[in-house]
Amino acid sequence: MARRRRRRLGQMTFGGKISLVLLLLLSAVILIPIVFTFLYSFFPKGEMTAYLAKRGSYEDTWLEVLYAPAMFSLRQYYKIFIEDPTYLQLFCNSALYTGAILLGQALIIPLTAYALSRFKFHGRDAIFFLIMLLMILPFQVTMAPSVMMLRWLGLMDTVWAVILPMCFSPFYIFLLRQFMVSIPNELLEAGMVDGVGPVRGFIHVILPVCKPILGAAAALSFADCWNMVEQPMVYLANKSSLWPLSVMFNKISTEGADVAFAGAALYILPALFIYLYFQEDIVAGIQLSELK
Amino acid sequence: MFQKKKIVWLLLLPGMAGILAFYIVPFVGGLYYSMMDGSFENTFVGFENYARILQNNMFLAGLKNTWILSLMCAPTIWLLAFLLAAMLKTLKERSTAFRNILLLPYLMPSSALLIIWLLIFDYGGVVNRLVVALGFDRVLWLEGSALRVPIVLLYIWKNLGFSVVLFSSALSAVHPSLYEFASLEGAGWWTQAFRITLPQILPTAFLVFVLAWVNAFKIFKEAYFIGGDYPAAEIYTLQHFMNNKFAKLDYQDVTTAAYLFALGVIALFALMYASKAVRAPET
Repeated sequence: MARRRRRRLGQMTFGGKISLVLLLLLSAVILIPIVFTFLYSFFPKGEMTAYLAKRGSYEDTWLEVLYAPAMFSLRQYYKIFIEDPTYLQLFCNSALYTGAILLGQALIIPLTAYALSRFKFHGRDAIFFLIMLLMILPFQVTMAPSVMMLRWLGLMDTVWAVILPMCFSPFYIFLLRQFMVSIPNELLEAGMVDGVGPVRGFIHVILPVCKPILGAAAALSFADCWNMVEQPMVYLANKSSLWPLSVMFNKISTEGADVAFAGAALYILPALFIYLYFQEDIVAGIQLSELK
Repeated sequence: MFQKKKIVWLLLLPGMAGILAFYIVPFVGGLYYSMMDGSFENTFVGFENYARILQNNMFLAGLKNTWILSLMCAPTIWLLAFLLAAMLKTLKERSTAFRNILLLPYLMPSSALLIIWLLIFDYGGVVNRLVVALGFDRVLWLEGSALRVPIVLLYIWKNLGFSVVLFSSALSAVHPSLYEFASLEGAGWWTQAFRITLPQILPTAFLVFVLAWVNAFKIFKEAYFIGGDYPAAEIYTLQHFMNNKFAKLDYQDVTTAAYLFALGVIALFALMYASKAVRAPET
């Protein structure tokens, strides 16, 4: 096996070999921040606090690169989970928002995409154009009037202010619609001969076919919510106890150096699992986001 | 395709109600705000707010920085993504693992990577070790205009994979016989990439560039992570301006700035639509 692989390497073109080396290097560079966050999460409090205190010096000394702790420690994780609930509380806030938003999107977005892709009606193309426009507008454009709206609805400074608007995220309507348009008509027509109406057609024909794109959309949406910053800062301006962890990292890292890495590692972990589970679907989903 | 089914309106109702309430009404309402004077009487002032904000130094600083940051990100991502996609293609079936690693950061919460990022770009950090090894002087990455570098790199680290995937799918559609012919003619890897591949995938290349630019225009998270609410002047973006004005309840300034900002994004969007026109003759 090894010999066969070596021979194949020998057959590679010069460009191929260079590509391989460069890609190996780049992959290492990409993975380093993640790997070291996990590694440093096992350093005991004293060692990490001392290390982080050396940061920001203007003298000509080097910040040494630590590869292994003097003493392997799980104490930081113990602190996060048992002793000091602040971190866990913020983590749960993140999980709550992400879960609620994904649930809301699951109820609303496939239905809207279905209507926009499998039906002909007046104004359909105009609606779709509008959705594409909304999808690229930055959050700040409608920020101030959205706040008025949410205040009028009595939702400001409640969790709903963060959750509800995200449930209608135009990008995912766009993504699902792109996929549903490409489903061959024969599939639905076969059902219609059997007398299946639009609703049962949606549940029994369209949804099962959409499984991969639903997975991709869920994973991408998860990543969005998990890294959410602007919305909670604005909609929960007076309720920082409800903020998700993603907004707080640049405040936490100034103090509590011992749990900073453990907290970051814990935050990365769910995203990592989701990526590993859905990666093929995500790649296919991104390819669909090319405007056609 | 279902025709003239009344039920479509029922299906559309929940989604459109939400879009209307949380996106369209605020968008139109914002236009109204940007043309009012915001006083007790709330009189109509037309484009006065726009004229005023265009002379606001903080707004102009934010605009300038947003342009600089997005122009540091977008072309870099575009070029790197193209080269990487071309490299991935030469590796054939071995490329999947690399592609997956390149895309991994796109799903990662960049907020959690902040602390290691600050260590890497510390004055005594790894990046400066590299800089010295290459024979230059150390740089204070976390101060002044150098701050843009860690911000832009964090953005590129996270978003590069997205463009690579788009490029890769376009590249896989290029007919292999073109390369065989070029190899027979003695064209090298570099020549093939820029003389054969790039012209073949021009529509996608154009789209990736515009998409990268539109998204980079919204760069804020990274600047907020590294610089906080009131960052150094060099990384003060339009979003900072709007957030701060918003905190002061100055809605007129927020909405006016927002529409000037939106104008830029919509112009880029029009460019993207133009890319459809570029593509049309070929398909």
